[in-house]
Amino acid sequence: MTMLFALIAQTLHRVRKFLLAAGVLLAGFQVVLILQANSIQTSNTFAQMGDMVPAFARDVLGPSFVAFLTFKGIVCLGYFHPVVMGALVSVSLTLATIPVMEIETGFIDLVLARPVARHWIVTRSILVALISTAYLLAMMAIGTWIGLHYFAAKDAAWPSAGLIGSLAINLGFLMLCWAAIAMAIGCACRRRGSAGAIAGLLALTAYLTDYVGRAWKPAESVAWLSPFRYYTPFELVMGSALSAKSLCILGGIAAAAFALAYLLYSRRDISH
Amino acid sequence: MLSGSAAISIRGLTKRYGKLVAVDRLDLEVRRGEVFGFLGLNGAGKTTTIRILLDLLRPTSGNAAVFGHDCQSDSLKARSAVGYLPGEMGIYSDLTGHEMLKFLERIGGGSVSREHRHNLTERFELSDRDLSRKLREYSTGMKRKLGLIQAFQADPLLLILDEPTEGLDPLMQESFYELLADARNRGRTVFMSSHVLPEVERVCDRIAVLRKGEVVLLSSVEDARKLASKNVRVVFQQNVAVPVSLPQGYEMIDAKPRTWILRVTGQLGSLPSFLAALPVADLAVEEARLEDVLVKYYRDGAE
Repeated sequence: MTMLFALIAQTLHRVRKFLLAAGVLLAGFQVVLILQANSIQTSNTFAQMGDMVPAFARDVLGPSFVAFLTFKGIVCLGYFHPVVMGALVSVSLTLATIPVMEIETGFIDLVLARPVARHWIVTRSILVALISTAYLLAMMAIGTWIGLHYFAAKDAAWPSAGLIGSLAINLGFLMLCWAAIAMAIGCACRRRGSAGAIAGLLALTAYLTDYVGRAWKPAESVAWLSPFRYYTPFELVMGSALSAKSLCILGGIAAAAFALAYLLYSRRDISH
Repeated sequence: MLSGSAAISIRGLTKRYGKLVAVDRLDLEVRRGEVFGFLGLNGAGKTTTIRILLDLLRPTSGNAAVFGHDCQSDSLKARSAVGYLPGEMGIYSDLTGHEMLKFLERIGGGSVSREHRHNLTERFELSDRDLSRKLREYSTGMKRKLGLIQAFQADPLLLILDEPTEGLDPLMQESFYELLADARNRGRTVFMSSHVLPEVERVCDRIAVLRKGEVVLLSSVEDARKLASKNVRVVFQQNVAVPVSLPQGYEMIDAKPRTWILRVTGQLGSLPSFLAALPVADLAVEEARLEDVLVKYYRDGAE
């Protein structure tokens, strides 16, 4: 176990500045959104905003449109804004491709020349992905808490802690799902650049598939293939409970991809 | 059955990359306590063999063992006895030298004697101040020294060193040779690849020459040197005619009336009788160099 702790500590030490910056930025983004929501709330312009939204956008959002254009909805937007999701998925891909980067740089030669089993390298990366995901979501929740406590108007209807928690958990599962997919891809690649590009393109395709599936009925038949389909922030904002089925699907994809990563890494040649 | 008495035992080892055969049915045994030189040109298969020993690469067929432990099926035990210096050290430049050594110690499983590490850093002239610097500030030579320290720091039973003196200045090379001698005196086994033939001649007990993935020469350094032709310079008291024929194994390189330079392949036992009837004033035999033999094997894999 000392060896596993050493591997985890070394990896976290390496990415600490990156994670710190990402955490601060994401927390800051939550505060900025709350400031915006507060501004709209105090000027009482949510209704005017609703009138400005084109009809097709209302169709895409459906009944959640009403819930979205509230103080609570804008605050929750911090958990499904495309920029936030893009940043979180990028962080997941970056961390998940560390094993292939270590092969590319030759660093892993020094590690695996010692009595370190290959599966510990994948286990280390999974634990680092888990820790980083939890940390980033915690930073976002802290940003939300700071924003609400220090900048929200007193009459504003805050989102409940349960809602924020549900959004964070669902988002966390989505991040782990992409981390697992990227790790499996990385374990089959020789270059981190290739692994990152393939995983990034796959994530973008999946995001667009889900997006188009929500807006265009015929595309719904393939939208179920996208992991983003199982992140349901609008439903949560509308008051639905966190879907166990969605979590199971995201968790299942993550587990399968992590298992594939173990298999690929244990069988591959370590050559750079 | 793999031999447990040998430090390294390789049987029929083959590694193919598609149509390219990197290592071809390699058989090799490295005895405990010897310094073994693994030689060959670039692409001969040296690094591939080393990487298979460390289970970084998986062989297409055949097997390799370290102290009787199969390098694939029992690789953790095999690697627990090994200290490794890669040909190209992959390091994280944002770590300090201390952090790097400490990290590698922690994942190594065993404990590292502070005194032993201190001796190593002193030997290679890496001060505490140097070790506190980020690796991005290290020169090529300093990185190589750090690589040697990490390989030796756990005092492993087997040292696998890929081009160990590449990038070291002559003084540090001397320190390395002394360290190698100490390791041998303490019964450690060293398996090293090198391009520097005088270095191999100086430090190795036995050598294997690899060419296109196959061993073309396996012998002690002493025996390999005997395979080399020796140049014999003979000075006469008076002018001497060049003979029409020479004994077998003799070749005239340069013939002047009072000086001959002969190349003699094999033993020099027949030289006195050959020169007995001639007015020899002086005789000089150039010591055979391992390099002369090995270059021939590198080129054409001569028998």
